[in-house]
Amino acid sequence: MADIKKYGFVIDPRRCIDCRACLVACRAEWNTPPGQTRIWVHTDGPQGIFPAVTQTWVPVQCHHCEDPWCVDACPTGATFKREDGLVLIDEEACIGCGLCVNACPYQVRFRNEVTGKADKCNACFHRVDRGELPACVATCIGGARLFGDFNDPESPVSRAIKDQVVYRPITPEVDTGPMTYYLSPPDASAVQVSPQPRKDLPAEVFWRKWAIPIVKVAVGATFLGQAGAFILQLLRGENEYEDGAV
Amino acid sequence: MSDETLTLEQRKRLQEQVLVKHHLANILTHWFNVAMWLLLLPTGIGILLEKTYPASSTAWNDLMRQIFGSTASLIYWHGVWGQIWIAVLTFNIFVGFRKYFLTFASTRMLLDKDDLRWLMIKPWHMLGLRKHVPLPPQDAYNAGQKLYSYLVVIGSFWIGLTGMIMVYSEHIPTSWQWVIQWAMPIHFLSAGITFAGVIIHVYMGAIFPEERQAFFSMFTGKVNGLYAYLHHRKWYLRKMAEKAAWEAEYRRRYREPAQAEAPQASTAPGTASADAPAGD
Repeated sequence: MADIKKYGFVIDPRRCIDCRACLVACRAEWNTPPGQTRIWVHTDGPQGIFPAVTQTWVPVQCHHCEDPWCVDACPTGATFKREDGLVLIDEEACIGCGLCVNACPYQVRFRNEVTGKADKCNACFHRVDRGELPACVATCIGGARLFGDFNDPESPVSRAIKDQVVYRPITPEVDTGPMTYYLSPPDASAVQVSPQPRKDLPAEVFWRKWAIPIVKVAVGATFLGQAGAFILQLLRGENEYEDGAV
Repeated sequence: MSDETLTLEQRKRLQEQVLVKHHLANILTHWFNVAMWLLLLPTGIGILLEKTYPASSTAWNDLMRQIFGSTASLIYWHGVWGQIWIAVLTFNIFVGFRKYFLTFASTRMLLDKDDLRWLMIKPWHMLGLRKHVPLPPQDAYNAGQKLYSYLVVIGSFWIGLTGMIMVYSEHIPTSWQWVIQWAMPIHFLSAGITFAGVIIHVYMGAIFPEERQAFFSMFTGKVNGLYAYLHHRKWYLRKMAEKAAWEAEYRRRYREPAQAEAPQASTAPGTASADAPAGD
């Protein structure tokens, strides 16, 4: 087993029966406010014409991306990626600005209406750290949700994808390296499996394109100006009675 | 600044004169501000990640986080010190409002014609050019200091307002989240522009030889007569007139002999002697 872990999810939509026990387990674990959830089970409804009718339920959570745009968007580092791959939120450092919510191409983040902080699936890291499974995975009676260390060839996730065709929720425009592998196509139109390109908010554009350059020029110019004046001062010398300096 | 009309004797006499320019409250407020800037600027730059908004450095980000133990702790103390800064300044403004603030704002901060001329001439003098053009007389604060005060007042207002928005952001509804999003760059911009002004202020106040008296006055509250006459002549002459009037009133009240009438305030420098009553 490798020393450095690489956690992620394997999801088999064929095994999901939409019981939503995972949503209940997640809410019980994290006391998510009513009307908000950290995980979903999406469906586009029945597909096809009778008698060839199918319906797919697609379990979804934060994909704990290898290149998480939410981490790049967070100005303070409140959102960060752990060495083991889990993308977490330091709630005490979060000021609830919502830049990460906007940045996530999967829209798996939201602003918790009770705490006022950014919120999302954290893969129940406290359980994982003591060797347990995330609540949703431990609860899933159909075995649709799996979690584990991809660096460990004996882990449930490594065994599940071994010699299998896997599907990742990416598009030609958006590939953030989601650490969720689906064992059958995640056929749902929901954004959580159909990522959308990022659009910067006006405040972010103002910050990057105006505020930072203006401050750099202002501070740089005044510093250089004063440094020049100081050199002139040294060259000119001082006159006690002329200037009233002393 | 030089003044060819002053004789060497007058210069020496003026140098021995002492005028009070700053009250203790002003001095304490100034150094409190300095202390707060020394705490808030490094921590503020440390909070903002270089990889996200390249206005800092990763080494500084890491150093600040190591000193404070975590990102949350760094943000917490930045917020605590910021609120102390706001509370003290607000207290000063409201407590001293009637006695000092309105008078100060109406008589010391407005630019007059002399100030505008000063602003056109002074930059040349700083470069060692056009020294033959005399600077117009200035009040207790010169035009540059007045402009800087505008920057500080406006900058501090926006720094404080946006800082409070971020400290108490969890109470702002999600539908008003844009307020927090705009508070961050405005906070950064206000602090950055004000800091650019601080760089000039520090050089002019502490290093520039002609203004070195101003630096020491921020410890002692006092300046010598030569500095006051050369750099703040309007204020100097007014203080001399006030002092002469006070002396006349004193003599009238206590019927001191041989002082039938109050002496007129002289516009000649150095004729009213030491230790004028408190300044601004």
